[in-house]
Amino acid sequence: MARYVLGRVAQLIPVLLLVSALVFAIMHIVPGDPAELMLAGAEGGAITPQRLAELRQQMGLDEPLLVQYGRFVAGAVTGDLGQSVRYRVPVTGLILERFTPTLQLSLAGLALSVLIGVPLGIAAAIRPNSWLDLLAMGAASLGAAMPIYWVGLVLILLFSFQLGWFPPAGADSPAALVLPALTLALVSAGMLARLVRSSMIEILSEDFIRAARAKGIGERLVVWRHGLNNAMIPVVTMLGLQFGAMLAGAVVTEIVFSRPGIGRLVVTAILQKDYPLVQGCIVFLASVYLLVNLAVDIAYAWLDPRIRYGT
Amino acid sequence: MRRYRYAAPLLACLLAGIARPTLARADGNLTIAMPADQEPASIDGQIDPYQLTWLLDSFVTDPLVVLDPSGHYVPGLATSWDVSPDARIWTFHLRDGVTFQDGTRFDAAAIKTNLERIADPKTASAQLKNDLGPYTSVEVVDPLTVRITYATPWVTLLEAIRRAPFWSPAALAKYSLADFQQHLVGTGPFRLGAWQRNDRIIFTRWDGYRGWNPVQTAKGPVSLSSLTIRFIGEAAVLGRMVETGDADIAYMLPQDAIEDYKGKPAYSFIIRDQSGTGLQMVMNLRHPPLNDLRVRQALLYANDENLVNDVVYDGNYAKSEGPLSNNHPCHWSGAGGVYPPDPARAAALLDQAGWKLVPGQPIRQAVGVPGVTDGTPLRLRWTVLHHKEIGEAVQQQFRKIGVDLRVEVVPGPVQIDRVGRRDFDLIYERQRSPDPYILDQIWNSRWDQPGGWAWTGFKDPQLDAVLDTLRTEPSFAKRCDAAKTAQQMILQNALQLSTLSDPVFVAFRTARVSGFDMGSEGNWFFVNNVKVTQ
Repeated sequence: MARYVLGRVAQLIPVLLLVSALVFAIMHIVPGDPAELMLAGAEGGAITPQRLAELRQQMGLDEPLLVQYGRFVAGAVTGDLGQSVRYRVPVTGLILERFTPTLQLSLAGLALSVLIGVPLGIAAAIRPNSWLDLLAMGAASLGAAMPIYWVGLVLILLFSFQLGWFPPAGADSPAALVLPALTLALVSAGMLARLVRSSMIEILSEDFIRAARAKGIGERLVVWRHGLNNAMIPVVTMLGLQFGAMLAGAVVTEIVFSRPGIGRLVVTAILQKDYPLVQGCIVFLASVYLLVNLAVDIAYAWLDPRIRYGT
Repeated sequence: MRRYRYAAPLLACLLAGIARPTLARADGNLTIAMPADQEPASIDGQIDPYQLTWLLDSFVTDPLVVLDPSGHYVPGLATSWDVSPDARIWTFHLRDGVTFQDGTRFDAAAIKTNLERIADPKTASAQLKNDLGPYTSVEVVDPLTVRITYATPWVTLLEAIRRAPFWSPAALAKYSLADFQQHLVGTGPFRLGAWQRNDRIIFTRWDGYRGWNPVQTAKGPVSLSSLTIRFIGEAAVLGRMVETGDADIAYMLPQDAIEDYKGKPAYSFIIRDQSGTGLQMVMNLRHPPLNDLRVRQALLYANDENLVNDVVYDGNYAKSEGPLSNNHPCHWSGAGGVYPPDPARAAALLDQAGWKLVPGQPIRQAVGVPGVTDGTPLRLRWTVLHHKEIGEAVQQQFRKIGVDLRVEVVPGPVQIDRVGRRDFDLIYERQRSPDPYILDQIWNSRWDQPGGWAWTGFKDPQLDAVLDTLRTEPSFAKRCDAAKTAQQMILQNALQLSTLSDPVFVAFRTARVSGFDMGSEGNWFFVNNVKVTQ
């Protein structure tokens, strides 16, 4: 097992190198000089070529691309992702500062999506093709189909502006986490419910379930212990992917609810052509995504004792 | 926040009891909500080039010179100033008894330290260094007198120095360049409490403040105990925050929210324009069809700015007729009459230029236009960063005279790239300042260079000579006259298409907030006299 985990961790290195090289290349292909952009954002004052050259030199943009990339990789190994050209502070600090609210949001979103999606899927699976199934799957399809932006605004209108239960913006209190987490959860729960349903239906028709019932085991135990446990393997895979998607894709939610987070940081960095920050964020998010998936793989073994790695 | 006290226990059920009730807001705390895209990258105005940074800095430190709500430069931390007749030597006399928030003395040496910090290449000042200009020396004449000397006239110093924040030299020495922006120490009414990026900035009252800003009526510390600036990502949310009590003041309200506040007795609603160029589109004269004066003039005759304002903004936007917006102190009043809306005349000019309407085709085609293949449709690109709706309204107007306008919204880097390659037809170019030097920046062919702001490719020694005056003439009145001459020349050559000017919309509950003073410019305000009533 340990060898397997170490091997998987080692595999992350070439993937991350590839990701960083791709991001670096893309950022240099897309138009725009960050130094010029910084000066162009100013309101007044003429930009001279001398001033532009001076700023480019200060930002390290006058060096060959390979040197710039090499410096980035060498720094990243030691946790130094360079200095943001826009914010003029270390990228690592910026990422860690913004990652906490994004992580909180994603975890809360995932938890809510499990709380909503799993019971909905089970309810639908227990009575397939019944009105309950129809209702649950209708709700799930609706959830999965709704755009996050729209869901967020509707929740704000209802729970903030009409009922006044939750703040419409910010990240200063636990109450401010509810609506954004629910926004992420509603969309994700729809997909989760559908997956749980199909997985449960498949498992509940297996021979060992029939055997369990024949032995006189209660239906509740059959469903929750034998059925759900086995149905959770594909669900865990999906949860891992969903969690990664939430981390990287929380940007819309963060904007609608005015929450600080890594998604907004990346978008601003891309628009401003802040090379080090974009590279740092993408490599960081890719690392988190890969680690989450590694954790999911490991979780298989826990869920299904038949699965053993590295033996 | 009090409204959400019941939300926390509810959340506790959902999130395993981690929630706790939020605190009710105490008296004297002012919350101002504004769009998230206004949040600067740095709140040290010596580094960052954005207007909002200088505004935020003005809460923490008073400037030497204040542009007051009536649009006049009045003494701030400088009690007076002298300028030599050739505008090369500026002498500022400083207010006595002023201290920084760390207890150190504000004096001429502090000014010198700050000016040297701004000029230091390590600071990489993106704007203020340019604005303050290439001074040759800063002398401490005595503790309360500082002299700044230039090799050539620097007539725009007051405009630059009114925005320049001056920090405690002791604090500057204590923190690194990157860290200082989290530890600003100035002479102003508020201390920087915390900057939670992408969320809010909290300022707390400094009790040592003596009301040095001339805008403040009662001397001594300000009434507010704290000031919170919140950055709101969603316009619809920003639009409702005053109504719901989540903010005291909504600054830069979206257009859609205006009707919720305008004309309602419970609210104060302010519209304040910003002097500058307005949302103008400059034309690329380097290639057909815009290298032909008649085509450019035709576009101006086809454009009806008032109609766009009525249709798109219910008349709430401000007029900007000509290279300087109508509220600019140096606006040429004749600008509005040069190209009155006249589609028939526009069509005639296009005919003369060889762009003809072919039966059955809505878009004109080239017939004998030099450098253009016959049959080429008259198609132009309208490249903007925002305000797409203006382009779409103009598109309809141009369609009536047979011009196909393609509206494209691009991000900043793409705009800069297009400008760098001179690959555009009409492109958004805007500057904001009540000083006329911005005309020099955009229209003097001297600045048609990499990184420069003269994008059109127009070159006229006569215009350049007039524009040079804007940088050298010490008298503001004479510079205004020169600016008016320049505006006439720019309009005669039809180099730009004026659209509108987007004012700043501000709303607050009249019963809750008093003493809020907007600056003479929409992008500035003062909170020195604000009182909040629960």
